[in-house]
Amino acid sequence: MRGTTAKNEQIREQKKAKRIAYWKQYWVMYAMLALPVAYYIIFRYIPMAGNILAFRRYVPGKGMFGTEWTTRYVERFLKDPVFWKAFKNTLVLSLSNLAVNFPIPIIFAIALNELRWEPFKKFAQTASYIPRFVSTVVVIAILNEFLSPSSGFLNMLLKEFGIEPIYFMNEAEWFRPVYIFSEAWQFTGWNAIIFLAAITGINQDLYEAAEIDGASRMQRILHVTLPAILPTIMVMLILNVGSILALGFEKVLLMYTPINAGVSDILDTLTYRTGLRNSNYSYATAIGLFTGVVGLIMVSLSNYISKKTTGESIY
Amino acid sequence: MAKYYRNKENIIFDTVVVLLVVLVLVVCLVPFMYVLSASFSGPKPLTNGEVFLFPKDFTLNAYIKIIEYPNFLRYYGNTIFYTVTGTALCLVMTILMAFPLAHSKLKGHTFFMKLVVITMFFSGGLIPKFLLVNSLKLTDTVWAILLPSAINTFNLIVLINFFKTIPRELEEAAIIDGMGYFGIMRNIFLPLSIPALATITLYYAVYFWNDWFNALIYVKSAKYPVMMILRNLVVGTMQLDVSNAGGEGDTVSIAMKCAVIVTSSVPIIVLYPFLSKYFVKGLTIGGVKG
Repeated sequence: MRGTTAKNEQIREQKKAKRIAYWKQYWVMYAMLALPVAYYIIFRYIPMAGNILAFRRYVPGKGMFGTEWTTRYVERFLKDPVFWKAFKNTLVLSLSNLAVNFPIPIIFAIALNELRWEPFKKFAQTASYIPRFVSTVVVIAILNEFLSPSSGFLNMLLKEFGIEPIYFMNEAEWFRPVYIFSEAWQFTGWNAIIFLAAITGINQDLYEAAEIDGASRMQRILHVTLPAILPTIMVMLILNVGSILALGFEKVLLMYTPINAGVSDILDTLTYRTGLRNSNYSYATAIGLFTGVVGLIMVSLSNYISKKTTGESIY
Repeated sequence: MAKYYRNKENIIFDTVVVLLVVLVLVVCLVPFMYVLSASFSGPKPLTNGEVFLFPKDFTLNAYIKIIEYPNFLRYYGNTIFYTVTGTALCLVMTILMAFPLAHSKLKGHTFFMKLVVITMFFSGGLIPKFLLVNSLKLTDTVWAILLPSAINTFNLIVLINFFKTIPRELEEAAIIDGMGYFGIMRNIFLPLSIPALATITLYYAVYFWNDWFNALIYVKSAKYPVMMILRNLVVGTMQLDVSNAGGEGDTVSIAMKCAVIVTSSVPIIVLYPFLSKYFVKGLTIGGVKG
């Protein structure tokens, strides 16, 4: 009996010593984590909890979590035609943007890879990233000048052909094309990086084998390059579909005018207007929460599908 | 690369490829060229729409006017302040979190990783964040702009993944030599992570330099960054040249708008080539999968 107690004692002592040694070595790490973890809790998790405001009545001065339970905001937005209009606008804008701006970077990446003069390739790559680094507001300001009906370059060009000036930035029918074009302008080079990286990883022997078999360069693209980067394309496609509700909110907000409101009012701008313009916090939180939850489901689902089918995922 | 034959088919193929890339480059660069040349152009060619890739009736008038414009220099100073302090704050916070999270032996490692990754899938949304900043009494202080974006999860993961590529042996040797983890971070990890650090520095600097939305919702005009001038011009709540406002012929303000665009984007475009040699490396090694 006494022997085992002593042994237990010894083991406990050893464990304690181990624990002390662990903390002696690692306490610095936890000290380092203190501030960042506090940041995550305060600025990421408290707002997450703040979403319950969608089910609570907000009274100014009574805190960000509201005062009493109510489902009126959720009921209201589900019946609100403005909300459903914004939902539809979000989906249409997002899907048409995906249809145009998903293939373009792939084509650009393949074209870059086929360039045979290395300095030009480097230059083209670097220059095509630049629009990614300017502010959304700069992009829209540039478009305003470039597309201005009175002095803009494009309308001057149209005038030469006898076409009446078009107020691109204000007309509803031009909202989607201009948005999609501006996304292409900003992100083609940037989004090509991942595909270019995938192409660079292709085994060069495959190309030589294809050439010996008499494949032309176009055939080599179709039968070697494309199949080799297909997994990357699939992953990117699935992930893009997953983030279908996440549009360039700032850009849409800047392009929003009363005239194009019928097509340019998306879920995010609706949340912004109801919440921050009209101070209808609970109602806006309800719309924001809907966007967030649908986004979460879409991302998780697409991530799951991606993992199952290709073995790749974002985490 | 396979052997290259100068036959007809290859020549056509190469031409098409080069034209395609040139097209993308033209589309990428022409709007910049247009704005740049418009900012240096005189009023007459601008009204007539004669300005394209090169300035006409060269003048610095627009730049002189915007510098004299009330608040322009102040807003510019604000932007520099937000960019420098914001980037410094973000770097410190990101490094402090990435270093422990790169050690999978750390107890609670999985928990902290989950804490981070969850925020990539679901976030508080605009209104709760706004109300939080209000409740913390940060509204109309510079902290409202700096604190809520102190760590970007994507940048954090880039740095964690980069730290993970650093050989453990270096760390073990340092521990035997009696070095603590803080010293290991400062003397071993940070110097070896210059590419990743340069990459995330660029991202953070670009973020703060370009930000206007946080300024719009959180602070009053005295604390505005320069992007807010552009934002007010874009949504039409502000005219640069009041004497000419409204009319079809407010061409001075075209040049002035372009001058604001140029002055507010040039620093970030100039910074980029210096850091770009690091950042492809930093991104490909440290990048998130997928």
